[in-house]
Amino acid sequence: MRKTYASMPDENSIGRRDFIKLGGAAGAGFWLGNRALCAQEGSGKPGGKPQAPPPRPKTNIEDALKVPRTRLSLPGLFPGRVVEVNDPSSMNEVKPDAEAVRGMLRKGLSGLTGADFKKAFALFFGKNDIVGIKVNPVGAGIISTHLEVVDAVVDWLTESGLPRGNIIVWDRFDYMLKDAGFTAERFPGIAIEGLQTMDEAAAEGKSGDNSRWLRPDGVHVSAGNFDPDVFYWADVEGPKDLPYLNQHVFNGKFSYFGKLVTGKLTKIINIPVFKNTGNAISMATKNIGYGAVCNTNRLHRPLFLDVCAEVPAFPAVRDKLVLNITDGLRGQYEGGPGPAAKFTYLYRTLFFATDPFALDMVCHKIITAKRKEMGIAVNEHPRFTEYLRYAARLGIGVTDEGGMTHIRI
Amino acid sequence: MISWAVFWLCAFCPAKASAFQVPDDGFFPGWTKDGRSRAFQKMDLFNHINGGAELYLEFGFENLTVQRYAKAGAELILEIYEMENPAAALGLYLMQSGRETPWPEFAERNSSEPEQAVFVKGRWIVQVNNLSGEIRSVPAMKALAGRVLAAIREEPAVTLLNRVPAEGKIPGSERLIRGPLALQQFFTFGEGDILRLGGRVFGMLADYEGASGSAFTRLIIPYEDGPAAASALSYLRDHLDPYLKIIQSGPDGFTFEDFARRRGRVGLAKNVLDIRFKMAAAE
Repeated sequence: MRKTYASMPDENSIGRRDFIKLGGAAGAGFWLGNRALCAQEGSGKPGGKPQAPPPRPKTNIEDALKVPRTRLSLPGLFPGRVVEVNDPSSMNEVKPDAEAVRGMLRKGLSGLTGADFKKAFALFFGKNDIVGIKVNPVGAGIISTHLEVVDAVVDWLTESGLPRGNIIVWDRFDYMLKDAGFTAERFPGIAIEGLQTMDEAAAEGKSGDNSRWLRPDGVHVSAGNFDPDVFYWADVEGPKDLPYLNQHVFNGKFSYFGKLVTGKLTKIINIPVFKNTGNAISMATKNIGYGAVCNTNRLHRPLFLDVCAEVPAFPAVRDKLVLNITDGLRGQYEGGPGPAAKFTYLYRTLFFATDPFALDMVCHKIITAKRKEMGIAVNEHPRFTEYLRYAARLGIGVTDEGGMTHIRI
Repeated sequence: MISWAVFWLCAFCPAKASAFQVPDDGFFPGWTKDGRSRAFQKMDLFNHINGGAELYLEFGFENLTVQRYAKAGAELILEIYEMENPAAALGLYLMQSGRETPWPEFAERNSSEPEQAVFVKGRWIVQVNNLSGEIRSVPAMKALAGRVLAAIREEPAVTLLNRVPAEGKIPGSERLIRGPLALQQFFTFGEGDILRLGGRVFGMLADYEGASGSAFTRLIIPYEDGPAAASALSYLRDHLDPYLKIIQSGPDGFTFEDFARRRGRVGLAKNVLDIRFKMAAAE
C-alpha cells in the first residue's frame, strides 16, 4: 500500500438498469450476508467439509482514525439527534408540493438545531463555503431524490447568503444525475457534477465502441476526476475486465475519492432516499459511503455495510458532511436498492440529522416495521445494523438507544 | 502483458449464441428489435447482473437471453432465464415476487405490473421490463411474454412445496431455499452453508399462525438420506450463530432462543430436518 489516508461511498456499482431486474427479494441486499455467504462455494455434499468463511479483508481505516478531528467532524453538531417531519400535504401520488417541502425543511432544521433558518445556516456554513449536495439519482422517476427537496435546500442556502455559484449538486455518475432531472436547465446557476461517466451502451452490449469512456492507453476517461492521494484501500479486488472498468474507473485495491470531494467542496449536505437493500437499508450512510469513491463493486461481497461506516470515517467526508436529510416523501420497503415501483409508498416524511448513523438507525427501525406490516419476510438479525454500532465505536456516530434522540414533528 | 492481452480479448469476444429464439420484429404492431440478442451462461451472469447474480447461481442458473425492443422512444427488455430445473425456477421466482400481483389472463404463474412482468414456466423465468412504466407499452409487454411462453414446453409441476404442512399455513408465504443467500433473507443460523444444502438440496418454508396468535416460520429440509440429515444437524449445532442460544439439546434436535428472545426448534426425523423459528416463547 502506498500513500497516506482518505475516504467516501456508492450503491452505484449495480447498474441502474439492473435494479429493476433485481426487484423483489432478489436485490443486491443479498450481499448483506457478506462474509457469511462466501462459504457457499465448495461446500459440497453434506458429508463433506464446508469451507470456512474467508476472513474480513484488511482496510486502511486506521489511517483515517489518525487524523485529528474538527468541530464539525461526524457525528457533527448534534450527535444522536434525529428529527422526523411528516406533512400529509407534501406529496400527491406523483409530485411533491414545493411549498410544503419548504415548510418541512424549516421545521426540520429548527427541530434539529433549535435555531431559525438563518441561524441554522450559520451553524454549518460560511458564505465562502463550496457546498456539495449529494443526491441519490439511482431510481429516477421511482425512488430518487426529489428535485423539490433540493430546491428547498438551495433556497435556504442562497437566502442565507451563499452564492448560487457556490453550490454543486453531485453524485458519482453523471448520466444518472441527468436521468433524474438534475440538469443545468432545471437548476440555473448551480453546478451539476458527476464524479465519473459510464458508457451505458457499451455496458449493455449495444455498442462495441469503447472510445467514449476508454482512452487509447487503456485508462478510463474519468480517471483524472479521482484523487490518487486520497483513497479507501481494502485487500480485495474486482474483475479485471472492461465492463468493470467502464463502471468503476479503476481495477485493483484502491477506491479513490473524487477530487470534487477531497478538493473543491468544503461542506456536504447528504440527501439520500428512504429505501431498503435486502434486510438492511440504503439511505444516508450508503449514499455517501458508496457515492464518493470509485471501484466499489469489489467491496460489496466482503465488506458491504462496513464500507458505509469506514468510508465516512475518512476526513474528506467526516469533516465536511454537516447535514443529512433523508427524503422519505416516497419510500420503498422492498426490492431495493434498485427501484421497484411495486414496493413504493407515499410516506411524506423528511428526516434531519447531522449524525448519519443515528439517522440510519432510526430509519432502519421504521422501514423494518413497514416491511413486516406489508408481509415481507424480515430477518432482524443484529448483523444488519452492526455497521452502525461499528461507526459508534469509530467515534463518528451515536447509535445506542440511550444516546439517541428521535423527535417527531 | 499477458493479462492485458486477455483483458482485450475478453472485451471484444463475440456474444455467445442465443439460448432462446426470441420473438422477431412485429410481435406487436410497431415494435422491433433494438440491437442483437445477448446470451449469458453460468458465471457470465456477473456481466449482466452486477450485484445480485449470486442468488441466481445459488438456485441453479444455466443461461440467460436478453433482447431489447423499441417503438417510438418506448423500450422493452426481454430476459429469458433458463434454470437447472423447474424447482430452481420456481424458487427464484418466489424470492423475486414478494406478494404476487398476477395478470389473470395468463395461465402461467406470474407477478406483473406495468414496470415489470415476471413469469415462471417449467425451468424458465420470463421477465419483461418496461423501465419507463408507460401504460401504453403494457399491451406489447403482454404480447411479448405470450409469444415466449407459448414457445416453452410444459414440464411436470413442482411438488416440493407440498412438503410443508397445510394446517395453519399463511397463504402466499411459501418459499424455496437452496443455499445461504436465500436462507439469509429469512433468518441467520450461522455462517456459510450452515444447513449443508450444498447447492443441491432444497428447503421449503412457510409462515404459520402460532397458537399465541403470532406467526412463526417453519422450514422443512429433506436430505438425501438419514446420515446426511444427521450430519447437517450436527454441523448446525456446532456452528450455530453466536446470537442464538441453545436452551435444550438432544440427539434428535435442539431448541434455541434468538436475539429477540423468540424461540426456535430444530428436529431430526429420518432424513428430514424440521426447523421452526421466530416462535413466541409460549409456542
